Amino acid sequence: MRNRFDEQLFELNREIIELGAMCEEAIASAVKALTTGDIELAVSVKKNSGGIDQMERDIEGRCMKLLLHQQPVARDLRLISAALKMITDMERIGDQAEDIAEIVTFLNGHTMEGMELIEEMARATIEMVTKSVDAFVKKDVALAEKVIAKDDIVDDYFSKVKCGIITLIAENHADGEFALDLLMIAKYFERIGDHATNIAEWVIYSVTGTHKEA
Amino acid sequence: MTSKIFKSVLFMTIAVLMASLLIVTGVLYRYFGTVQETQLKDELSLAAEATERLGETYLESLSSDRYRLTWVSSDGEVLFDSHADAAAMENHADREEIKEALVSGTGSSTRRSSTLTEQTIYEATQLDDGSVLRISVSRATAFVLVLGMLQPIAVVLVIAIALSAWLAHGMAKKIVEPLNKLDLEKPMENDAYEELSPLLHRIHAQHKEIEYQMQTLKRKQDEFEQITGNMKEALVLLDHTGRIISINPAAKTLFGTSSSCIGEDFLTIDRKQNMRLALDEANARGHADFRAKKNGREYQFDLSRIDSDGKNHGVVVLAFDITEQVNAEKHRREFTANVSHELKTPLQSIIGSAELMENGIVKSEDVPRFIGHIRKEASRLVFLIDDIIRLSQLDEGTEMPREDVSLKVLSEEVCETLADAAKLKDVSLEVTGDDGVINGVRRLLYEIVYNLCDNAIKYNNPGGHVKVSVAERQGTVQISVSDNGIGIAPEHQDKVFERFYRVDKSHSKQSGGTGLGLSIVKHAVQYHHGKIVVESEPNKGTTITVLFDDRTA
Repeated sequence: MRNRFDEQLFELNREIIELGAMCEEAIASAVKALTTGDIELAVSVKKNSGGIDQMERDIEGRCMKLLLHQQPVARDLRLISAALKMITDMERIGDQAEDIAEIVTFLNGHTMEGMELIEEMARATIEMVTKSVDAFVKKDVALAEKVIAKDDIVDDYFSKVKCGIITLIAENHADGEFALDLLMIAKYFERIGDHATNIAEWVIYSVTGTHKEA
Repeated sequence: MTSKIFKSVLFMTIAVLMASLLIVTGVLYRYFGTVQETQLKDELSLAAEATERLGETYLESLSSDRYRLTWVSSDGEVLFDSHADAAAMENHADREEIKEALVSGTGSSTRRSSTLTEQTIYEATQLDDGSVLRISVSRATAFVLVLGMLQPIAVVLVIAIALSAWLAHGMAKKIVEPLNKLDLEKPMENDAYEELSPLLHRIHAQHKEIEYQMQTLKRKQDEFEQITGNMKEALVLLDHTGRIISINPAAKTLFGTSSSCIGEDFLTIDRKQNMRLALDEANARGHADFRAKKNGREYQFDLSRIDSDGKNHGVVVLAFDITEQVNAEKHRREFTANVSHELKTPLQSIIGSAELMENGIVKSEDVPRFIGHIRKEASRLVFLIDDIIRLSQLDEGTEMPREDVSLKVLSEEVCETLADAAKLKDVSLEVTGDDGVINGVRRLLYEIVYNLCDNAIKYNNPGGHVKVSVAERQGTVQISVSDNGIGIAPEHQDKVFERFYRVDKSHSKQSGGTGLGLSIVKHAVQYHHGKIVVESEPNKGTTITVLFDDRTA
């Protein structure tokens, strides 16, 4: 019985890693589509987001089944409850990657200065997501704490991008719509950073049993 | 053990106790029976004599509780009974002992009472008048005797149980002690019971077998680890659930992990999409491969499912570093593209000139110029093809005849050949230094010196100089060609040896080179296991030194 439980926990662990990897790929593809103006790639990101949703529901079902059938305690219980919260964040990251990709399809390959800053922001965000998944994979509290610290940097990027966009609108009224799209994208990245922070917090919770106060 | 011994001891005790009880009871009972019978007979004969003499008065005077006397007449009528009223008694003629006495003078019989607890012994004798006097006594049966002895037997049993428990405990302890003391690690060094020696032998043999198998296993494991530890390819073994069973050092570096990942999910060390898809494919179809960049190098990943007896035992992940291969492929592709381009340019030029002349557009006085142009381009093509042939020969790495060559003599020959070209560019040529004899391929060495000098002249300024110096030092020979020409910028210094690489792409036509000269030099030097050192500063000059490690290179 316990063996089967361990097996199921192992499967759960694997599925969370897979979901994390899918999110990483979705956001990486969305960023690539944004920087290269590759609309086809953006469309494929939108298509793949269904897979992330499906995976989230599967993991949710598995967690519920484990909770009901095995009535786990202590560490196992923490892992499962953290998993339930984490997958919600991961699913949100996937959704936001999809939203970014959707904006890219509207941009129609439109680029302009100020993008460099967003690219930097995107890189920082991807790093946060990757590291938060890494922290889960390795159950590494120190790494999770680094991810949480990194959120401030992404937030800084957001205010910088915002200032850039304000000057952009002031100088060039015609590109107002594009500027707003950029602001949306920046906001999505900022949100993704927050979700990565949440994942890192849940990793810390699943390992230490205490949830970091935001 | 103790309880088993206890049980058998107790059983034995009880059995012996019962047997002796039965035997003793039986023997004694019979003995006392005989004694009683004799007594009874004596008593009867006494009573008979007295009765003959005194009659009923004697019988009446005799009041005994021990014996019962009955006087029966010859026809069976009871005349007297000491314990009952004679008149009320039935006729005794059919009693066995009476019948016997009437016939033979004496009779006896034993009858059991209805309750089994008593038996009565009868003795009868015939008096002179024909009547019969009977005496009888009751006694308890053997069963009653035994029943009476139950209490002492119970006491004895309790004692027996206690004794056997104590005995069993002691015995078990004594028997087991040497067994407990057995040193199973060294079974042959024990001197326990002889009966145990087959067991000990067996244990000894099994010990040896296990040890041997362990050694074999360890050796195999060592071999495996040695092989996988020293191989450059990354190797990871996964079980059927995707857990890591074994990972070699190369794989640890590749995936940036440590030994602690053994037993973990493979996804914890690589969760990339291409790896996940490849794992799924390998599990489904038996094999998968893909190429991916990792840590800045190109890797080819091969995944194979391990099947045996139709069961999936896991997956082997093997990764090769194919960076060099990919680079070589890239170079080859570039080379092919470059060659085609370089060959096409002069041909296009030739075709253009020829077409102009064909259509009669060229004035007759210009015809020699055009023909000269065609000739120049054609010879350029020949040079180019020659260079390519030489390069491909060097690429093939075919062995070429070696001989002793003096680099100084060779350099002088080269300078003579290039004297005209140098004069045209107003560049002075000078050869100095030792003989510098090395054992090598003359044609290739000539190629080296020629190309270096040719470049030194070509990329020089009017009035410049080219100095060739040969030096021998402790078994090494070096030749350096230095000029005070335009020099090579640092960022180009590594690349000038690449095929078709030109520092100044727009001037290639002017200088007239093929772009293969230094590439040929590089290969020719490599063929002789030499080294090339470039020292150059833009607008100051270039010194290219070729070092040959030893003369027999």
